[in-house]
Amino acid sequence: MADDRHTEEMEAPGVFVLSLIFLAVFIVIWLAHLKWLMDIWGVQ
Amino acid sequence: MANQDFRICSESGLKVYKNAETLIKWNVIAALATLAVGGLMALLVALTRWPSVHLLGLTEYYRFLTAHGVDALLAWILFFEMALVYFASTVVLGTRFRGVVVGWISFALMLIGGALINVIIIMGRADVMFTSYAPLKADPLYYLGVILFAVGALIGFIMFFVNVVYAKRDGGFKRSLPLGSFGLAAASIIGVLTLAHGAGIFIPAFLWSLDFIGYIDPSAYRLVFWGLGHSSQQINVCAMVAVWYMTSAFVVGGKPVNEKLSRTAFVLYILFINLASEHHLLVDPVLSTWHKIVNTSYMMHLAVLASMIHAFAIPASIEVALRKQGFRSGLFEWFKKAPWGNPAFAAVALSILLFGFLGGITGVIFGTEQFNIIRHNTFAITGHFHGTVVAGTTIAFMGFTYLLIPCIFKRQLIWKGFAQIQPYLYAVGVAMLSIGMMSAGAFGVPRRHYDITFSGAPFSFTFDPAIDMFMSMMGVGALLAVAGGVLFILIGFGSMIWGKEVK
Repeated sequence: MADDRHTEEMEAPGVFVLSLIFLAVFIVIWLAHLKWLMDIWGVQ
Repeated sequence: MANQDFRICSESGLKVYKNAETLIKWNVIAALATLAVGGLMALLVALTRWPSVHLLGLTEYYRFLTAHGVDALLAWILFFEMALVYFASTVVLGTRFRGVVVGWISFALMLIGGALINVIIIMGRADVMFTSYAPLKADPLYYLGVILFAVGALIGFIMFFVNVVYAKRDGGFKRSLPLGSFGLAAASIIGVLTLAHGAGIFIPAFLWSLDFIGYIDPSAYRLVFWGLGHSSQQINVCAMVAVWYMTSAFVVGGKPVNEKLSRTAFVLYILFINLASEHHLLVDPVLSTWHKIVNTSYMMHLAVLASMIHAFAIPASIEVALRKQGFRSGLFEWFKKAPWGNPAFAAVALSILLFGFLGGITGVIFGTEQFNIIRHNTFAITGHFHGTVVAGTTIAFMGFTYLLIPCIFKRQLIWKGFAQIQPYLYAVGVAMLSIGMMSAGAFGVPRRHYDITFSGAPFSFTFDPAIDMFMSMMGVGALLAVAGGVLFILIGFGSMIWGKEVK
C-alpha cells in the first residue's frame, strides 16, 4: 500500500531552523531583560 | 503609442516610460535632499541629548528637534514613498504615468509645503514640536505648509490608483497586482486615510491660528492628530514590507512561498494597524477603558500577526530562490552564499532583522496598556520608533535607492566599496542609538527633554549613574549612523551626477 503521508520536502528548512534559533535567543534576551528591569525598578 | 516613449531597463528588464521616470527621479532627489537636512538636525539633536556634549542652547534644541521630525519622519519618507508608488504603478506594471501634470502638481505642493514648514521652524515661529498639540499655537504659515505637503502627498497616493486602473485596462496585469504593487496599494489606502485625518485636524488648526476659530478642543486635536501622526508610520511599515518583497525579487529572484498568505497579511495591515496609535491616548480621560483595552490588547496583535507573516515569508522566499540557483548544500549554504556585498540585499536583510528585533518587538511590548503607562514619556519610546522608522524603513529605502540609481537614473554606483559597507555602518549606528535610548528610558530618562540634569530646577533629581553609559551609547551610535547617512547621500547624489551611464 502506498504511503499516503505528506512527504513533500520543506521548501525553506534553513529559515525554519534560523527562526527556531532566533526564537531561543529572543526568549533568553527577553528573560534577562525582564530580570534587569525588575532589578532596576525594585520589583520584589 | 510611440516606442520611443519607453525603454527597457537593462538591469531589471522592466519597461520604463519617460514621463514616469522623470517624476520618480525628482521625488528621489527631493527625498535624499530632505534626508540630508533631517540627518544634520539629527546630529545636532543627538549631540545635545548626549549629556557629555550638550551642544545646542535650549531654544535651538527644540527648534531643530521639530525640524528633525518634519524632515526625517515626514519629508524624506513621503517623498521616497511617492517615488515608490509611481514606480510600482508604472514601471512594475509596464505602463505610462497617467495625468503626469497632476503628478507634478503633487510634487510642487509637497516641495513648497516642505520648504515653508522648514523656513517657519528655522525662523522660530513654530516652536511647537512635531505634534504641535493645541493649545500650542504656531504661525499660520506652518499649518499651511503642513496642509500643502499633505495635500500633495494625498494627490500622489490617488495617482497610484489612477495608474493602476489604466494599467489594468492596458493589460499591465491580469488578475491581481504583483505583490510589491499590492503592498504599495495597501500603503496607499492607509495613506489616503491618514492624510484625510491630517486635513481633518490641520485645516481647523490653520483657521484657529488665523483667529477664524476661537477654540480647538485639545483632546479632539490629540485624537485626530494621531490618526495622522501614527498612521503615517503605518504607511511606512507597509511600503517598507513592499520594498522587502521587491528587492528580494529584483536581487535574487525571490518569489513568496505562499503569495495568498502574504497578500492577506497586507489586508490585515489595512484593517488593524492604525489602531496602534491608541497608545498615544492611554492616559486621555475622554476615552473609555474598553476602547483602550480592545485596541491595545487585542486589535493591535492582528497587525503584529501580519508582520510576523512577512518576517518569515521574505527570508523563506530568498532561501527558495537561492536554493534554485544551486546553493542546496546543507541547511545554510544559501545563507553563506547570499549576496551580502550587494548593498540593496544587505540593506533589506538588516532592515528585516532590526525592524523585527528593535522596532517590532518593542512596539508590541510598549503598545500594550500596562507597559505603555510606564514607558510612554520616556526615551524608550524614542528608541522604539528609531528602531522602526530608521532601522526598518530608512535602511530598506536606502537599499532600494541602490536599485533605482541604475534602473531609473541609468547610472552605475560610484564608490562601490563604500556602498557595500554603508548599510552595515548605518545599521550598527542606528542599533546602538536605539538600544541606548531604550535602555536609558528604562531608567526613566524622559523623551524630548533638553536637560536631563534638570539644572536650575527647584527640586533636584539624579538618575542612576548607569544612564551615562547608555546615553553615550546613543551618542556614539548617532555619530556612526550620521557617518553612514553622509556616505549614503554622497554615493546617491554622486552616482546620479558622476556615475557611469548604464546603456
